[in-house]
Amino acid sequence: MEILIQQLFNGMTIGSVYSLVALGLTLVYGILHIPNFAHGALYMMGGYITLTMMTKYGLHYWLAIFVSILVVGVIGVLMERFVFHPLREAPPIHDKIAAIGILLFLEAFAQFVWGAEFQSMPTPYGQVVQIFGLTFTMQRLLIVISAIVVMILLTLFLKKTFTGSTIIAMSQNREGANLVGINTNRVAMLTFMISGGLAAIAASLSAPINLVFPAMGQLVILKAFVIIILGGMGSVPGAILGGYILGFSESLGATYISNDYKDIIAFVLLVLILSVKPTGLFSKGGH
Amino acid sequence: MRKMKWRFMFSMVFVLIFSLAACNSSTNTSGDNDQKGDDNKSEEVGTVNIGYTGPLSGPAAFYGERTLNGVKMAADEVNAAGGFEVNGKKYKLNIVSLDDKYLPNEAGANAKRLVQENKPPIIFTPHSGGIFALQVFNQLDKFIIGAYSSEPQITEVGNKLTIRIPPRYDGYLQPFTEYAMENFGKNVAFLPTASQYGKDWGAKLKTYWEKEGGKVVYDSAIDFSKETDFFTILTNALKEKPDVLFIGGASEPTAKVAKQARELGFKGGFIVMDQAKFDEMKAVTGSYDLLNGSIGVMPLVDSQEAAIPDFVKRYQEKYNETPGSEAGLNYIGMHVFVEAMKAAGSVDDVEKIRANMQAGLDNLAADKKIYAVDKIGEDGGFEFDLSVAAVENGKIVPIKVD
Repeated sequence: MEILIQQLFNGMTIGSVYSLVALGLTLVYGILHIPNFAHGALYMMGGYITLTMMTKYGLHYWLAIFVSILVVGVIGVLMERFVFHPLREAPPIHDKIAAIGILLFLEAFAQFVWGAEFQSMPTPYGQVVQIFGLTFTMQRLLIVISAIVVMILLTLFLKKTFTGSTIIAMSQNREGANLVGINTNRVAMLTFMISGGLAAIAASLSAPINLVFPAMGQLVILKAFVIIILGGMGSVPGAILGGYILGFSESLGATYISNDYKDIIAFVLLVLILSVKPTGLFSKGGH
Repeated sequence: MRKMKWRFMFSMVFVLIFSLAACNSSTNTSGDNDQKGDDNKSEEVGTVNIGYTGPLSGPAAFYGERTLNGVKMAADEVNAAGGFEVNGKKYKLNIVSLDDKYLPNEAGANAKRLVQENKPPIIFTPHSGGIFALQVFNQLDKFIIGAYSSEPQITEVGNKLTIRIPPRYDGYLQPFTEYAMENFGKNVAFLPTASQYGKDWGAKLKTYWEKEGGKVVYDSAIDFSKETDFFTILTNALKEKPDVLFIGGASEPTAKVAKQARELGFKGGFIVMDQAKFDEMKAVTGSYDLLNGSIGVMPLVDSQEAAIPDFVKRYQEKYNETPGSEAGLNYIGMHVFVEAMKAAGSVDDVEKIRANMQAGLDNLAADKKIYAVDKIGEDGGFEFDLSVAAVENGKIVPIKVD
């Protein structure tokens, strides 16, 4: 029983990180209509910027995360302005090539600036908390709680505010949104900004339990792709639910079936869900 | 969905194209180096090209860089001393390095390219997959493999032109097992890295451990290139109540595994695979206290050899970090090759150079001798006095190996 609860918590931790990454990916899918391959690189940049702010400028963890959100958000906006915006009329394959180009550029850039070695991010929340024989660390509780708070805020923003609705409108129909007077350029930039910010939050929260290195984005990006396919391309609730499904299936699968096959379990789940609902759990339009 | 898949396939093809393009640029830079080499030639100083293929980009880039740094540092020292003399002619070393992204096939292609363009007598490569790939054609194409891998098999296949620089890892089985069993107990859980190397290591240790009457209570592996968090696997491993954890892989993620095991309340000891180094792990855990009860290889900086402090100082000045054995062993390897070329009286007759490796070891200057290695085996492996250490009360303690 203890093991089950511990593993549920472990799955929740990792699922929260997956969800945050997948959310950014799914939002941008609404604009680009392709998965943004460079999203993992944004995640990696988020980790490095938080780390640099903490170690070089001595900022507090939360302050460093805040700076990181802004910086990575701006990188996202720049990506949109200089790469994806000029390509908006081009066939989708061009967007993909561009996204891969950005991914390679950012990884090489990180290796050039920060070096190839693993770096460890210190956290002020390293304490271990033991409750009823279960082990939590403050950092892990923080990951779960912050992720839920961010998800609630994001949902409120998208549902309850005018600006948020414009994002959804545009993902549903770009031309239609333009016709009713939405400034699509502004919305596209805003979406990239939020997507970058989410990647920065996810990286900054999860980096203390792992390490910061140029290829760290690859740890999560493939899984994030699985999640948004599973949840329905472009769907916000799909990304959240998909993230947790993957997190739980990994931790419970590793415990009750086999650790060596846990990736297969996740993919079998994907196959099953897609054969019942080929468009994913929440198909497009059901935002 | 099908369309999506094709699109994904296309994207992957483009990734490949981009990576190849990246390779191109690295050859260009080495081309510049050749130019310099040719300039030297006009001043009656010959150039010996030394090949290197290893991971210089991607997740293992830090590892490739450290190994390359060792080779480079030795070469720079030789060149700064005015080169070396073979048969009355002066030679300088020129390191030509290519990126293989840790892939055996890329290592093979790189070696072929090096042979055609630079004709190096020696090609260094720091991973067993690459070494096996090079062994397919190195005797035909006439180059020595400077093999940096403790995999015993690389010298067991009977390749006459392979020099294994590090000690083979099966020498560690006995001291590690003895120490862990004596101090903690007979139940071990296996959580090494998921690489081929890690699995082979695990298989050998498992056989030995069981022969000594121990039990493997949990046997799995961690893929550090896919795993974001280790709590899940550690929870499952610790459920089996092991006395000892066998961990390993690159130092930093291995340290994270040890740290998270302690967070989950693990009180036993660690057997640390030779790929991970205590001093590098400490950089992540903050102090040695967390690693109390670990047994592993002696970190280079804590080693007793007389040449160490000076070497560490020079390395730090040059690369701004503490050297580990990746740099140290390749450093000593490069110097031994130079001495062997001197003794052989040739810079391109590889059989002769190989035959003179023992002389090379004998002639090695005292200030280069950062490891106690005096002999090279018939099979081409350097023979070491194994240097094993444990962490006790927050300190590195040398352990005697008999």
